[in-house]
Amino acid sequence: MRRSPDITSLVSGLCVAALGVLLLLDGTGTFDLRFNVLAPATCAAIGAILLASGMSRPR
Amino acid sequence: MNETTTQEQPPPEPRRLTRARAGRLVGGVCAGLGRYFNVDPIIFRIGAIVLTLIGGAGILAYLAALLLIPAEDSAEDAPAGRNRWLVIGGLIVLLCISFPFLLGGGLLVAGLAIPLAVLVATGVLVWWFVSGEGPAGDAGDVAKRAALGLGILFVCGVIAIGGAWAAAAGGETVVAITVILAGVAILVGGFMRPVRWLVLPAVALALSAGTVSAAGIDLDGGVGDRDYRPTSALDLRDKYELGIGELIVDLRQTDLPPGDVPLAIDLGVGDARVIVPEDVCVATDAQVGVGEIRTFEQHNEGVDVDYDDLPDAAPSTTRLLVKAEVGVGSLRIGQSGTDLDLDRGHFDFGPNDTELGENSACAT
Repeated sequence: MRRSPDITSLVSGLCVAALGVLLLLDGTGTFDLRFNVLAPATCAAIGAILLASGMSRPR
Repeated sequence: MNETTTQEQPPPEPRRLTRARAGRLVGGVCAGLGRYFNVDPIIFRIGAIVLTLIGGAGILAYLAALLLIPAEDSAEDAPAGRNRWLVIGGLIVLLCISFPFLLGGGLLVAGLAIPLAVLVATGVLVWWFVSGEGPAGDAGDVAKRAALGLGILFVCGVIAIGGAWAAAAGGETVVAITVILAGVAILVGGFMRPVRWLVLPAVALALSAGTVSAAGIDLDGGVGDRDYRPTSALDLRDKYELGIGELIVDLRQTDLPPGDVPLAIDLGVGDARVIVPEDVCVATDAQVGVGEIRTFEQHNEGVDVDYDDLPDAAPSTTRLLVKAEVGVGSLRIGQSGTDLDLDRGHFDFGPNDTELGENSACAT
């Protein structure tokens, strides 16, 4: 039987990779990362991770 | 003829609050309260412990209840037989004993216990997220999970500090690639074997490096205090850099030519001050990640502070073009007022201070 993917890991991986891309863009000078972008991006990432963790937890 | 006799039911006796014998841990107060209110006695036990730790009132309340609530097996004749004056005397003695504890030791215990409780709760939550094991089981299990969670947090802290330092030292791209690789590993792990333990360190690394980048903290220029007092325009550097510390550029004795004179300042963390002569017009283009910018009568502070003030000047007047970036700290530009002098420790001026002078050399 095929195992279903772990939703928390999928969402967490995507969020962490997205944060890494933001950092990379800033590091290469393509994008100027400021707090007005970092703060909502971080909150959204952590919120998505917690939401996925809560939804995938067995009741 | 049938007679029907109605038998009156006696009114139910009021429930009596007594100290329970069955299931008691100490004096049966919490067990009795639980039975009286029909709830789990553990609720009252936790409440008593918390009140004991936060100010010590729990002990006082428990001892008072021990005196006032009769025991289960002596409930029938307890009220009549109890020596009232003995109880009142006991309560007074109890108050006298508890009062210093409530004022002094209680606060000390609370000061230690509350952070400890927060730490334990944080550790349990972290471990819950990483492993999926919630706060169940006996006290030993909870303590073990809290310790494991705190261990993970400690590792995350070390990683965050290392990531911040690396990003500030110019390795932001390397940190970014590391974060992306971690994200990909977590993503792939979701299909094969989950690696949830990697999520928190990766987020900590991304957050610390992101904070450093957003603030614009750059450690180029080293750590310490720097005073620069150039005497001519030729002595001016292309850029005045400092990683962490206090950077002062004093141009009061500098022979500046008419026209535009660029001045670049790059400070990671600390205070940057530019002191200019009164006959120089100052044009400012400055960014501060977290902190404040004060130029003459202007004052801006907060997060992501941007300040642009580019006035014109007469051709015969020197216009200083200040281009400044400060990560965390302050940038102050002004004239040789008493508070913006070179003696360190004398920069304590308030928000309405006008000691920075006026930018009056610019064309109106």
